[in-house]
Amino acid sequence: MGNTEELIRKYIADNILFSKDGYPYPDDASFLENGIIDSMNVLELVVFVEEHFHITVGDEEVVPENFDSLSAMTAFVRRKQAEKESA
Amino acid sequence: MNIADYLLEHGDDQKVAIIFEDGQSTYADIRHAAAQVALLLQRQGIGAGDSVGLLGANSLFWVASYLAIMKLGAVAVPFSTMAMPEEVQAQLAFSGCRAACLQNRYHGRYESAFPAGLPLLMDDCLDPASPADWKSLPYNSDFDEGREAALMFTSGTTQSPRAVRISHRNIRANTDSIIEYLELDENERIMVILPFYYCFGTSLLHTHLRVNGSMVVSNGFTFPEKVLDLMEQHGCTGIAGVPSTYQTFIRNTTMARRPMTTLRKVQQAGGKLPAVQIKELVEMLPNAHIYTMYGQTEATARLSYLPPHLLDTKLGSIGKGIPGVELRVVNEAGDPVQPGEVGEIWARGENISEGYLNDPGASGEKFIDGVLHTGDLATVDEDGFIFVVDRKADFIKSYGYRVSSQQVEDCVLALQDVVAAAAVGEPDAMRGEAIVVFVTLREDSVLQPDAIIAHCRGKLARHMWPKRVEVLDSLPLSAQGKVLKSELRKRGSSNGAAVK
Repeated sequence: MGNTEELIRKYIADNILFSKDGYPYPDDASFLENGIIDSMNVLELVVFVEEHFHITVGDEEVVPENFDSLSAMTAFVRRKQAEKESA
Repeated sequence: MNIADYLLEHGDDQKVAIIFEDGQSTYADIRHAAAQVALLLQRQGIGAGDSVGLLGANSLFWVASYLAIMKLGAVAVPFSTMAMPEEVQAQLAFSGCRAACLQNRYHGRYESAFPAGLPLLMDDCLDPASPADWKSLPYNSDFDEGREAALMFTSGTTQSPRAVRISHRNIRANTDSIIEYLELDENERIMVILPFYYCFGTSLLHTHLRVNGSMVVSNGFTFPEKVLDLMEQHGCTGIAGVPSTYQTFIRNTTMARRPMTTLRKVQQAGGKLPAVQIKELVEMLPNAHIYTMYGQTEATARLSYLPPHLLDTKLGSIGKGIPGVELRVVNEAGDPVQPGEVGEIWARGENISEGYLNDPGASGEKFIDGVLHTGDLATVDEDGFIFVVDRKADFIKSYGYRVSSQQVEDCVLALQDVVAAAAVGEPDAMRGEAIVVFVTLREDSVLQPDAIIAHCRGKLARHMWPKRVEVLDSLPLSAQGKVLKSELRKRGSSNGAAVK
């Protein structure tokens, strides 16, 4: 299951931070407080997790609790995948 | 009257004026904090005519500092928190700031921008127990309203910053006018997501303080769902945003499914929201009036609005001049255009600035005999309603901000492999306009568009980042050798910009 986290980490590093040195923040660092993402990036992240992990993200789920850190995103994606499998 | 006194004239001491994410401030709190900042600035020798920088998020400290600076007869110089430190440094020098008010949380990022020895006031200076009293500050009943109150930076480059000189009279005139046509009163509670350093955001602060109203502040719009929660939680009666704000609300939030029962006034300015989306907004919010408006920093903020009841018949129009503003659309001879003919929008009124700071060349082109030549091209219909069709000047309106195309091009051209670069705006569902850069490269170059974007991200403020870079064999040129941006814009939109 570590794969989910690594994929998200790599996506943010490559496509949002354009970083050559990977994702340089702690996993629980707030995207907002550290200026990692803004309103356009958050929607980019939504599209990424929908396409990559074959889940559907409701508008009401695009909140800091689910999208404001690497660990929050990972937990959210895993929860959505689990819901999908049990459905 | 000094504009700080004017804005606070009716504020009821006990009433909550601003609700923040982490607390709230009454009008008494604002007066008290502003008095403290004023006294501290005075102690640093700041007085009439001195420029004072101001950098921070929407906060009690920002509001108090802004009012305090103007109360002293000094000149408030707000900086964007999206600017790069080098830009702030250039703007500080250009405006000759003798002190600055800086919110602590931005100290790390901007420390290098402030010259050593410049007095800095930070938000930890505010002390709830301070004996400072707004009413004990000097009050000058025949204050000269023609004096400068603020310098508002607009698109310019690091090499040549451009600041609009806004007087006490400019602010009063625009504030009164906006209050009149929006019919604002003390029952208003507006959701503020626009930064106060941006003239549209400042106008919200001005008008709502003046009517003894209240504001709910959310810094940023990254999580729009949270903004909607706040609006419902605090019973907001109004909201103000730029096209990208509403495009986000329409496409990516639950706004349509929420009752939004208290929302009555929806203000949209800062660029053109496509007519189809204005319609969607009207359908989503049947109980609210949608105001489509138009303005410029050079006019303090606002120039025109379309009365909501005319949305059916005049959809897509910016309306007519607001009270006290005469708007005309004129042809090259300076005569009013005939219906259907394209001309430039000219404006006259007490809200029009006297000109740019230390830039007689640009001032002379834009402000002629007290008339603002907006640079926006428009048509007028038989009933006198104005429709903006294009702009003369070369800038891009990204997230409501004016971005100088040249600044983006200069940044791209700093890469050795780039031979020529042209930045244009293309309609974008998230940004209003997205920045697209067309480049030509040296023959043997292997430079990739992604690397160019990454370079810009390291050098430019966030709203100036290109969304896309396209490599061409050559740029389309006019007979005079000038890049034909109109051709590039067509090319950009025909490529079917990815819209999320």
